[in-house]
Order: sequence, then C-alpha cells, then structure tokens
Amino acid sequence: MKKNWKRDDLIVRSLADSYLPIALVLGFYVILHGNISPGGGFQGGVLAASGVLLLYLGYGFRGVATALNMERLHKLEAVGAIAYVLFAMLGIFCGYNFCRNVLFDSGNIGDLWSSGTIALMNYSVGFKVLTGVGFLLLLVIYLLATEPGHEHDNTIPTTEDEEGGESE
Amino acid sequence: MTYDVYMHFPVIAIMTLFVGAFCVTLAGKREKLRNVIACISVLVPLTLLSLLIKPVMMDGQIIVYWMGNWEPVEGYAIGIAIEVDPLSLFFGLLVAIAVTASCIYSFQYIKQDDARGSYFTLYLMLSGGVMGIVLSGDLFNIYVMLEVMTFAAVGLTAFRTWNPNAREAAFKYLVVGSVGSTCSLLGTALVYAQCHTLNLAQISAILPGNLNPTMVLAFALLFTGFGCKSFMFPFHPIAADAHGAAPSSVSVLISGVFTKTGVYGIIRVCYFLFRSMGMTSVQTMLVFIGCISMFVCVTMALNQHDFKRLLAFHSISQIGYILTSLGLCTALGVAGGLYHAINHTLFKGLLFLTAGSVLYATGTTYLENLGGLARKMPKTTILFLIGAFSISGIPPFNGFYSKWLIYQATYEKAAETGNIAFALVTVICVVTSVLTLASFIKVGHSVFFGQLAPGCEKAKDPPAGMQLGMGILAALCVFTGLFPNVMMKYIITPAVNVVYNTSLYIDSAMGQGYAAEHLGDAVMPLMNGQLPLIGSWSPISWLVLFVVVLAAVFLVSLTGRGNRVTTCEPDSKHAVFFGGEAAEYSHISGGDLFWGFKHTMRRYLGFMSRVHTGVTNDYVLWAVTATAVILTYCFVFML
Repeated sequence: MKKNWKRDDLIVRSLADSYLPIALVLGFYVILHGNISPGGGFQGGVLAASGVLLLYLGYGFRGVATALNMERLHKLEAVGAIAYVLFAMLGIFCGYNFCRNVLFDSGNIGDLWSSGTIALMNYSVGFKVLTGVGFLLLLVIYLLATEPGHEHDNTIPTTEDEEGGESE
Repeated sequence: MTYDVYMHFPVIAIMTLFVGAFCVTLAGKREKLRNVIACISVLVPLTLLSLLIKPVMMDGQIIVYWMGNWEPVEGYAIGIAIEVDPLSLFFGLLVAIAVTASCIYSFQYIKQDDARGSYFTLYLMLSGGVMGIVLSGDLFNIYVMLEVMTFAAVGLTAFRTWNPNAREAAFKYLVVGSVGSTCSLLGTALVYAQCHTLNLAQISAILPGNLNPTMVLAFALLFTGFGCKSFMFPFHPIAADAHGAAPSSVSVLISGVFTKTGVYGIIRVCYFLFRSMGMTSVQTMLVFIGCISMFVCVTMALNQHDFKRLLAFHSISQIGYILTSLGLCTALGVAGGLYHAINHTLFKGLLFLTAGSVLYATGTTYLENLGGLARKMPKTTILFLIGAFSISGIPPFNGFYSKWLIYQATYEKAAETGNIAFALVTVICVVTSVLTLASFIKVGHSVFFGQLAPGCEKAKDPPAGMQLGMGILAALCVFTGLFPNVMMKYIITPAVNVVYNTSLYIDSAMGQGYAAEHLGDAVMPLMNGQLPLIGSWSPISWLVLFVVVLAAVFLVSLTGRGNRVTTCEPDSKHAVFFGGEAAEYSHISGGDLFWGFKHTMRRYLGFMSRVHTGVTNDYVLWAVTATAVILTYCFVFML
C-alpha cells in the first residue's frame, strides 16, 4: 500500500484538533458511567486511547512522540492493574472475601456514585486499558515510523527499558 | 464451615504473582529491586500453598472461596469460586516449586539478554495464569487463564528475538495453540448453554446424568483443547520447536508446568465434569493417545542432535506416561499418573536447567559440538546425572517409583479386564523407558564425557544462583525417590481420593447432599486410601543391590585389565589414525553412539523425520485432523 498522503494537511489537523477532545470526553464518560450504563472501563478506555491515533493523524509521529512518554505510559498501565487488585483486596482487609464490594450502601441506585468499590475497580480497569491500548497504538505507530522508506526522525523513544547485554 | 484465615491463601497466591508481574514493570531499570520483587512474588505462593497442606491434604477440608461473597442462590452457583481440593493443591504445589526454582535460576541466566524487565513480567504472568487454572473452580476462568498462560508463553518463547528460530517457534506455538484455545472456548460455551452454570462443582453434579450429543461434542472439544495444552501426540512438534528456542528457564515452565495444566484439565474434564472415565471408549482413547505420544516422541528424541530439542521430545514422552496411567481409571493408575506428574516436573526441570547451564557456559546446545564437559563443569555433570537417572527410572531416584506404579497399574488392568492390549501397554512403557535411558546415555556421552571438544576450553560451572536453582530440583528428585511412602501418604493419596470421590468436591461447594440428589446412585464408593500393590518397593534395598552390582562389574573390569586388547576396525572415518598421523580429536559424537540401532530402524526414523516438516501449515493440519478424529471417535463410541 502506498502511503503518499500529505500528513501535515491543515484539514486533517484541524479535524484531529476538534475530534480529540470529543474522543477523550466520550471515553471518560463511558468509563465514569460504567456502573450504571452500557459500556465500562474497557470500552471507555479503548475510546479514550483512540486519541493517540487522532494525534498521529494530525501531527505525525513527531507530534505523538513529544506529547506522550511511552515509558511512562507503560508504567502507568502497571499502576492501573495494581490499583484494581488493591481495590479488590479491600474486601479481605474488611473481613469479607476477595473482590467484595465494601462500600455497597453509598448513594441511591442510578446515581453516578452508587456502586462503592465496583466503581473504583471499574475506573482502574478504564485507566489500565487507556494506558495499555495507548501504549499498543504507540508501538504500532513507532513500527510504522521506523519502517524503511519512511521519514525517520530522532525523537523516537525506544521500547527497551534498558541497554543490551554484553554479548548477544 | 468455619471461617479461617487460610481460606484467603489460594486467591492471594494467584494475585501475588499477577501483582508481582506489574510491580516488575514499575521497577524499571533497577535490577536489584526487580529481582527482589520477582523472588518475593514466587516465594509467597509457595509458602501459602505449603501452609495449606495441613488443612487440605491431611484434614481433608476442601476450600471453597466465593469471590465477593457471591454464594450459590437457590442451588445455582452464580458467583465465581476458587475451589481447592487436594488435586488442585497437588498441582498448585508442583507449579509453585517449579516456578520458584526456575526463577532463582533465571536471575543469573538471563544476565546476558536484553529486555530483562519484560522477561520477568511475562514469567510471572505465565506462573499466575497456571496457578489460576489449577486453583480455579470456574470453567470460564480456566479458559481465561489458559489464554493468559498461552500468550505469556508465546511471548517468552520469542524472548530471544535476535534468534530467528525463536520467532518462528513462537509463531507456530501461537497458531497451533489457538486451535486448542478455540476448542476449549467452544466446549465451555456448549457446557454453559446446557448447564446454565460455569461452576465446576455444579457442572460435575448436573452433567454426568445427561450425556446428550451436544455434551459429547463439548467433551470432545474440551478434551482436545486441554490435550493441545499438554502437547499430546498430534500437537507435539510445536513443543519441540518452542523448547529448542526458548530460554531454558522458560522451558522448565513450558514442560514442567504448562503441560501439567493440560493434564489437570483432562483429569477435571474426564473424571469430574463429564465423569466419562468409566466408559471403556474414553479409557481406550486416553491410553491409546498416551502410548502413541510415549513411543513416537521417544523415538523422535533418539534422532535429535540438539540437547534441548531432545529434552523436549522426552518431555512429551513422559506426558504420554501420565496420560496412559490416568486413562486406566484405576486408583493405582491415577496414583502413578500423579506421582509421575510431579516427578516429571522435577527431573525435566532439572535437565532443562542443566542444558541451560551448558548453553550458558559454551554458547551451544548442539550435541556434536560439545564433549568432555565433565572435567570443566563437575557440578553440572552430577546434577545432570541425577536428572538423567531419574527420567530413565534408575532405582534410587524418583522416576523409578512412578514408572513402577504405572507398570503395575497397566498390568493389573490387563489382569482385571482380561484385555491383552493393556499388557501390551506395559510392554510399550518398558520399551519407552529403555529408549529413554539409551538417549540419555547418548546425551551424557556426547556432552559430558569423552574428550574435551574444541571450543569448550573456557567452560566452567555456572554461578551460584543458577546452581541453587538446579540444586533445589535435584534435592527434590532424590527426596521423592527415597521417601515415596511419605509422598504417597501426604500428597498423592489425598489427591487420588478426591478424584474418586467427586461428591466430596460437589458437596463442599454446593451444600451437603447436592451430589446425592443429582448424581443419585452414580456416587462412587469411598476409597479407603489403601493402594493395592503387586510388588513392594524399598529404595534402600535397591540401593544396596545397585552398589553390589556396581562393585561386581568393577571387579570384573579389574580382572580384565592385564590382557586388554585394543583393536579397531579399519574404517574410512578412522583411517587417519592408522596413517601415521597423530589423533587430534576423536570424540564419539551423539550421532554415532546408536548407529546400529538407528540403521536398523532407518525406515521408521526417516519416515518420522520426514513427517515432522517444521511447516506451520502441516502442524495446524495435524491439529485439526486430531480434533476431527477425536470428535468422530467420541460420537461413534460414546453415545
């Protein structure tokens, strides 16, 4: 496939500018309302992470690389997963079983804040998916950018978090 | 049931591994911190599961832990449960031991590689997935964990990305593994559609009475799915590729732990969920597949020239023993199978780690390039010999006891049913054991003994951390060989009992009397924990016999020392020695050692190596054909 469109097109960039907030708001909306409406952490996280693609379309690889720190995103994903387990562990600390909802009588049914620990666990899933899928998309973009025949700039962060060993 | 703190242990054991995996990512470049985190994450599950031996194995309590306190409502298990019976705990312990030893080993072992952070993340993910499978009481969770485990294993297989073989092996693994995963997902969906529940205990109560065509389909699919994970016969070539390319510490997990989840799944499916093990057709299928895996893989192993590929084929061969033994559906058979499962994890882990040490020291695992390492790496050699003796079933070591149980079980089955085919199975088991010994003589000879191969001069024993990892497994090999009665009493017999008394498992999850209500007369009688044995086995007397025979052989060789005749056939290969030139290097390589045997069997061996093409399409074709054959077989003979 030939990739010969002009990436820094004004139209594409302004559309990306206007759609990026919408994607993010929609994503966060779905994450926040996961406990009372269809969707949830996973779906909302993926929606919000699509912002990375919009950034790429509008500003090219250089734009994405300056806006987002790949390594930090990778670590934040781990934080999301650990947060999920910690919220689930609250059940054990409060004398129930793992994953038990310990704040269950908070708010009226249908309120945003009515599901106690479930909401917190849902937010951690949303955070984990947002950062995880964002990281995946960045990886894909990174591979595209380093493909032979493509422009190559030196702003590419490495996926390796450490130096190579002494021998192969 | 009283509420005790140890009820939380299984879930914490699983979660520690997963949290550890993510904490390793957070540790980033700080190597020491990362190693400490990984070490803690594997030691915590080991400790917690060891503490469970007392209540679960000895007191016979089955831990049922409902996530979020969602207990069954009106006889329907709507929540997700963790159910730890002695069988689960048996496999959990096995996993924890192998993971710990391999983790300690890998700190030093992967020092030479890059991306060590992702290694431990994936490693702990794989361990957590396996732990989740064996401790879970929910069919869908088992599937999810199966996927977690498979993808982590694929990632680890491709860990050495500079090696094109590793990438190829990972791809094959991914594709063929997906066939198995798809089968188990479809089977799970069918079971859910039929039973409206995913809880293992409840399915085991509802399903056995209603074996309609849909459920036969589900059975065949689940069986194939778990069989694929255990790399039984038609799925075995991917295992060889994966082991050959993956780091040795990962091979330990893939062969010792990953395949065991398949075995565990087959036990759960055949003995618990469908309770179809009583049918002769299912027994025949399992024993047949076991025998084929056993024999085909051991002959393939004889033909290999790569240390780790050879070990990989032996690994599947031993899985064949386990499947055969479990397929007998006798108490002795199940005991032998489970004992062989734990022994296989120990000795195969040890052998893979020694292969890793050889790779670490010399940079190659190709048998023809190695030789005479015993002088350079004495400790590794001793550890290798312990592993090799164990796997070949030399008496004082653990392999002998479990193989002895399997021989007895197959022979007893033949006596019981009057079916001569089962006696043939015993013969296949013995022949396989002999061939195993033969190929380990080949490995020992071409890697550790003989003349020092060129290029191996700088080899030396691996660092202390790696020796510790191997030492743990070697010590356990010796322990399980010398004290089989302790193992039988505290570990194996409770697990066998629970396989035979599924009603205990069902009742503790669903409430007293649930099993009797649903299964009715099908409840099997309680076994009293006594295993009938044809012959007795006392390791000490065997050891004495062994020493006596060794001394006799030594004396005989001493008497013949005076008039030793050294003749050599004038062979074109060795002509150089008779031409007046100095012999430089005349190592008898692995390929030469069984030349006669291989020449006699050349048609068969040639056919086998032609069939193992190494093409992913072919292996997928095998996998799909196997699925189709198993499906047809189940439909023809089970309905």
